[in-house]
Amino acid sequence: MSQEAAVFGETSPPGKSLYTPFNVIAGIILIVGFVITILRFTKGLGAVTNLDNNYPWGIWIGFDLMAGVALAAGGYVTSAAVYIFGMKRYHSAVRPAILTGFLGYALVVVALHYDVGRPWRLPYPFIMQQGTTSLLFEVAACVALYLTVLFIEFSTAPLEWLGLKRARSIVVRLTMVLTIFGVILSTLHQSSLGALFLLAPSKLHPLWYSSYLPVFFFVSSVIAGLSMVIFESTLSHRYFAHKMDETHLAEKEGVALGFGKAASLVLAGYFTIKVLGISMDNNWHLLGTGYGMWFLVELLGFIALPCFLYAVGVREKNLCLIKWTSGLTVLGIILNRLNVCLIAFNWHLPSDEKYFPHWMEIGISVFVVTAGIVVFRFIVTRMPILYEHPDYKDSH
Amino acid sequence: MSVSRRKFLGWLGAAGMGTAFGTSANAASNKHFTGYPDSMGILHDISLCVGCRSCEAACNKVNELPPPEKPFDDKSVLDKKRRTTASVHTVVNKYDNAEGTKGPVFVKTQCNHCLEPACASACFVKAFAKTKEGPVSYDPSVCVGCRYCMVACPFNIPTYEYDSAFSPRVMKCTMCHPRVIQGRLPGCVESCPKEALTFGKRDDLLRIARERIRKHPERYVDHIYGEHEMGGTSWLYLSNTSFASIGMREDLGTTAAPNLTAGALGAVPLVVGLWPVLLTGVYAMSKRKEKIAKEEEAQAVGDAVAATKAEGEEKLSAALAKAGKDKDSAIKREVKKALEEAAKAQKEEAAEAKTEEDA
Amino acid sequence: MEKGKSMRRWAGFLITVAIISMCSIGVQGIAELSENVEKRADVVTIDTMKIFGDLERPEVAFLHDLHTDALEKMKKDCSTCHLSGKNFEIIPDTLRAAVEGIDRMSPKFKRLRDMGRQEVMDIYHTNCIECHTNMLADGEKSGPVTCGECHKEDEDKVMSSRQPAGFDKSLHFRHSKAQENKCERCHHEFDEKTKKLVYVKEKEGSCRYCHKKETEENRIPMQLASHLSCIDCHKQTKAQNKKTGPVKCAGCHDLASQDAIAQVDTVPRMERKQPDMALLRIKTEGEMPGRMDPVPFDHKAHEEYNDTCRVCHHENLDSCNKCHTLEGSKEGKGVNLEQAMHLLNTETGCMGCHEARQDDPKCSGCHSFIEKGRRQDTASCARCHTTLPETAATTDVQLSKEEMSATAAKMLEARKPVTDTFKDEDIPEKIIIKDMVNKYGPVEFPHRKIVQTLVKGIKDNKLANYFHSEKSTVCQGCHHNSPATQKPPRCGNCHDRPFDENNLFKPGKMGAYHIQCMGCHEEMGIKKPVGCTDCHKEKK
Repeated sequence: MSQEAAVFGETSPPGKSLYTPFNVIAGIILIVGFVITILRFTKGLGAVTNLDNNYPWGIWIGFDLMAGVALAAGGYVTSAAVYIFGMKRYHSAVRPAILTGFLGYALVVVALHYDVGRPWRLPYPFIMQQGTTSLLFEVAACVALYLTVLFIEFSTAPLEWLGLKRARSIVVRLTMVLTIFGVILSTLHQSSLGALFLLAPSKLHPLWYSSYLPVFFFVSSVIAGLSMVIFESTLSHRYFAHKMDETHLAEKEGVALGFGKAASLVLAGYFTIKVLGISMDNNWHLLGTGYGMWFLVELLGFIALPCFLYAVGVREKNLCLIKWTSGLTVLGIILNRLNVCLIAFNWHLPSDEKYFPHWMEIGISVFVVTAGIVVFRFIVTRMPILYEHPDYKDSH
Repeated sequence: MSVSRRKFLGWLGAAGMGTAFGTSANAASNKHFTGYPDSMGILHDISLCVGCRSCEAACNKVNELPPPEKPFDDKSVLDKKRRTTASVHTVVNKYDNAEGTKGPVFVKTQCNHCLEPACASACFVKAFAKTKEGPVSYDPSVCVGCRYCMVACPFNIPTYEYDSAFSPRVMKCTMCHPRVIQGRLPGCVESCPKEALTFGKRDDLLRIARERIRKHPERYVDHIYGEHEMGGTSWLYLSNTSFASIGMREDLGTTAAPNLTAGALGAVPLVVGLWPVLLTGVYAMSKRKEKIAKEEEAQAVGDAVAATKAEGEEKLSAALAKAGKDKDSAIKREVKKALEEAAKAQKEEAAEAKTEEDA
Repeated sequence: MEKGKSMRRWAGFLITVAIISMCSIGVQGIAELSENVEKRADVVTIDTMKIFGDLERPEVAFLHDLHTDALEKMKKDCSTCHLSGKNFEIIPDTLRAAVEGIDRMSPKFKRLRDMGRQEVMDIYHTNCIECHTNMLADGEKSGPVTCGECHKEDEDKVMSSRQPAGFDKSLHFRHSKAQENKCERCHHEFDEKTKKLVYVKEKEGSCRYCHKKETEENRIPMQLASHLSCIDCHKQTKAQNKKTGPVKCAGCHDLASQDAIAQVDTVPRMERKQPDMALLRIKTEGEMPGRMDPVPFDHKAHEEYNDTCRVCHHENLDSCNKCHTLEGSKEGKGVNLEQAMHLLNTETGCMGCHEARQDDPKCSGCHSFIEKGRRQDTASCARCHTTLPETAATTDVQLSKEEMSATAAKMLEARKPVTDTFKDEDIPEKIIIKDMVNKYGPVEFPHRKIVQTLVKGIKDNKLANYFHSEKSTVCQGCHHNSPATQKPPRCGNCHDRPFDENNLFKPGKMGAYHIQCMGCHEEMGIKKPVGCTDCHKEKK
């Protein structure tokens, strides 16, 4: 058993104790998270967050929801690439991407339960009154539907694991329809998350506010999806290589190169439309202000730079560079969502009225991510995600 | 996949029937809502306000809000700029040294009850509604607590009861809607001694405001705040100093909030309609490409096989021909040999017969 | 991975970080205009190069007094920078005596006239930078030597606090006394025939009547004229060791210095053969029936009401109707006689000035509520426009100036206005306002005391007296929009329900009381009563 596997691989490698370093740390995070959860639901939002009347949305929305949804976009991007565009050589990346997507969206919904004032009323927009003038309604509907789509798409793995052949074959036949439906739903809710902020032009800094916000969010979600697949694939290979079958191991390089190339192209396009966005509103003079500098950091350091690095990495077949660039891009997407939602929001306010998250908010975010990783590990080590189930080889 | 003509026509008919039942959507249109007829509003004449905070006290009493930290007759509270909170629907703020005035200027802030409210547009459970009497009402019985309304409001008014664990509500001025329906005055209006707050139909208030500006051009800034801002609000303001210097934003524009997202919402049905077509098209194209690639491959294999076969047959027939030829020549040789032998035998016989004759 | 590739990658990364950091540091340098911006009265904007075309660099804010002081310390004087020339600019003969013994200097820097672009620019650059460099070499604190330190961008410039300087009656009197009433020392006119500046007696006027903001025809601008005349004369007097006016910028143009100028309490009347009384009537040529009655005008009294003549005589010392004719003329800039006299938004005319007087705290308590854009009540025309007395014969008769003056005097004599109101016994002493008792108790309104205070405040004001001579007029300040009688209606007669749809512009009773009472107190600067309980006790 490799050292990594001993640390991180199985929940408990046979014969070894349950208390691996990862398990201990994860355990502590989960316990703390559990305590904060109790506080949140018995004492209210005010007791565990720094949310106030000027900043109703904090990192639970900015990071867990917005960045989470963007980074879970790998699901639709990969399945679209493989099933709609017919790029069969990425097939091994589909299941991990769907799993990441499904867990991502599931955790988004979990985090939403913390943030919203009365989470037991979350079904209300569907069953009580439909606020169809609101983009948030559209986001809610599409996320709910898409979570269902992802669940069904993911369910092939546990069905195979449980040996339910008939159910599994029904699900597999739905793949095409689900993939198309998934792309439609993703386009809608990824762009609508950006469109939410169209309603607040007076509160969002002009360099980030644009009537193209929905387009920006959608395009960056594609980038996020591509990068997350590379990122997740790298981590999986490091810690779960022993679970991977030959196809998976063989296709790994192809996935990184292919997705890296795609990401470079889309980043270039994204950079262009961002610059066009500034040009359309004639906001060049704002680039010389403090916020302008911060915008340039995002634009140059987290969009232009990864675009260039991806291109270099793909050309030189430098997987290490591609791996690091995917990490940089993921950070850039998170930064962009945080900028739009928190940093460039209500930028007029003096700094003593600005928002910084409470440690408990950060605690819940970490808790949610950790829970996601733990569940991911559970699934990946038991179900046919990184390998093909011997009973169902070549039967898609 | 192939579709029969009948099926196709059936789908068209169904789609057509569906469109007949819709109401006009006017997505991203420039329709302008000028308010329900006879909807009420309030005119706040800032030049009359003396900062006595009677309005704050009345609001607190009428809405049964929790008692404040400092009593309402404490004027020191005005030294700091305040905003609405979960237990305070309205605040009066003081502005010293406002340009062109003798003394400090006092401004009352509360929900402006916009004609096309951003909060109502934002709410995904329709918890906010613009009533026909004028106030924008809030229904806490459906509110989920997503707080998007707080993000959307350009005036930063709605607040949230973060300290309530089980029934947190969004809090804002209600323009005393229950009282207004009964024909009574909102609490703040009733209590203002200087009638700095005038209650009436919005159209009448605009008339009053214009008349005041006409009568005293030296006193008022020639602008009624709220007449057009964010598409128009039910709360109108007159001021004796520039609005920007008393904390009222002049850069909000005149576009009503719902129009800001109408474009994005209008794109949703477009995506739902077009994406399946596009994606199916791409899928079909990629499938076709695959098929053609397979066919070409099969073709190439077939050609190769055929070529090999033909070559083999050629060789075989050549060999057969050669064999035949050999056989023929062999036969010929044998025949020739036999004929030669026969001739030879005949010759010998003839010679023998002659010899016998001679003897 | 090859070492070369790794190095290149790191190099690229570091370069990017460096660029971003430099940009971020540059952001700090984009400074805001600081709160404590320096404000000086001696800021001279050097934008001479404008006459040669567009400026390449921003104008220079030159601090004149700073340099004068610095040169004084070095025992140098004006000639360090200003050249004297014998025949530059026309020296009015009249001024010669005033500037006897002084080297007339060109206000231009180290030149007598503007030659070419390069030469002028070189004069500035060479001389300024040379002097500064020399001083720095001597170890002295000195001015800038690099381009950007002089040619500063807008945000970094020093702000000018220069107040316009000028004469009022008091200062003029002090000057004429010093000049022994020899008007010719300063006042002159341009004689077309002799092409010289000559003095014409009894035609003296303000400098600004001829010397405008910019050069017009052959008249130099006011700025140049005043600096040449005033400063040169002051220099001469100073040289004679006599008490004199300032020669430095701040001396005249700084607000504090202006406030420190000694004021003469009673300034004797300027002698310029102006009328004591004038009869303002519409000029006639031949038959002209249907003319507005003339206005007798106490010119002498009005001289005392203003600090300068220019408040009314804004272009010259002629009578108004010379330019402001009945129909309006080009000289009058199209403003006809009726407008000139009656426009409310300017203090140059009669009614505008009278209207502005109502802002006085003694008046504004009532007058701030009166609509500014109102059409006057026709009865008030008669306050000024009076029918000619019989002795002035028919209206067609052309009266001489003296006759007109005498007539005017008589007409004014006939009406001696006094602010009047009802007798004390007829004015209620206290009124208990108890019809709105709710949260607060009744108000004990000191009605008589208020009326008496108001009357006392205005009875010495002649203007007020003209308009408040009817007994019931003063009452109308509060008892408005109703007939003027001895027993005017109580407020509640008209002010009832607030927000009445049929009465949009009338406040309700509570609003009426508070707007009137509190508004008046605010306008008149009354400190008490102001708060709620100052007028009515709270009911517990």
